Amino acid sequence: MKLSAIGIRRLLQASSALVIVGLLLEIVSLLWFHPLSFVLFAFVAVTLIGLGILVYLLSLVFVATPPAGNGN
Amino acid sequence: MIGILICQIVLSVVLASIFLFRPSLTTGAAWKVLAFIGLCVLPALCIVGGMNTHMQRSEQTQFCISCHAMVPYGKSLYVDDPTHIPAQHFQNHRVPADMACYSCHADYGIYGPLKDKLQGLTRIYMQYVSTPPNPITIPGGFKNAQCLHCHLGARSFEENQIHAAIMDSLTSNQMSCLTSGCHDTAHDVANLSHQKFWRPVQ
Repeated sequence: MKLSAIGIRRLLQASSALVIVGLLLEIVSLLWFHPLSFVLFAFVAVTLIGLGILVYLLSLVFVATPPAGNGN
Repeated sequence: MIGILICQIVLSVVLASIFLFRPSLTTGAAWKVLAFIGLCVLPALCIVGGMNTHMQRSEQTQFCISCHAMVPYGKSLYVDDPTHIPAQHFQNHRVPADMACYSCHADYGIYGPLKDKLQGLTRIYMQYVSTPPNPITIPGGFKNAQCLHCHLGARSFEENQIHAAIMDSLTSNQMSCLTSGCHDTAHDVANLSHQKFWRPVQ
């Protein structure tokens, strides 16, 4: 499957969603004073944010420009 | 510090939200740069900031005793008996009171913080997934290096005749500082119910 076929819009949306969920979990982990908060941060939030960044970087590498005229 | 980090996270969330709902904005050059900042640079900085905050937080006494299994150990810091080594150090501020556990139990080697964190994660695993040990023990035993990190070179420690006579054994860890007859009363959580406790004025 070619990534360019998916389109930068989908990749950007997926990346944004992953980053947002990861960052919100990071806020929860920072406000929750408990040993498990580190687990939540290190294993869940960092993974989601990292995946979001990776998806965004992949969109830069595999998709040069978004299709014109498909924005809302 | 944590407020600044949360502001940074909120800013990242706002930027990422723009590209969640309006991905077509990235056709413009300026928006491309903003997308790079919002979806790559700021989230990466948030990870670094979060890791730093969590590492610093895990050095706090309150963090350690927030775990149920550690509550008696936290209570033992208030035992009103000068022969109890942790209590004596904590109450007289021989270690920073807000970092009391970390000061005596941290591995001060180059990879110490990493080893400590992995050991902490192992304990969390044992607490929630497998069976926590009872009583709680330190893998490999308590090392003299953790005492000597502060005491070695201190006048009162080195001028003590007993310490001077066994210095080689202490530095090589052949003889523990906690040897019976020396500083052998550590947390003693099994006998807490029989102890008197110190109450700080404030």
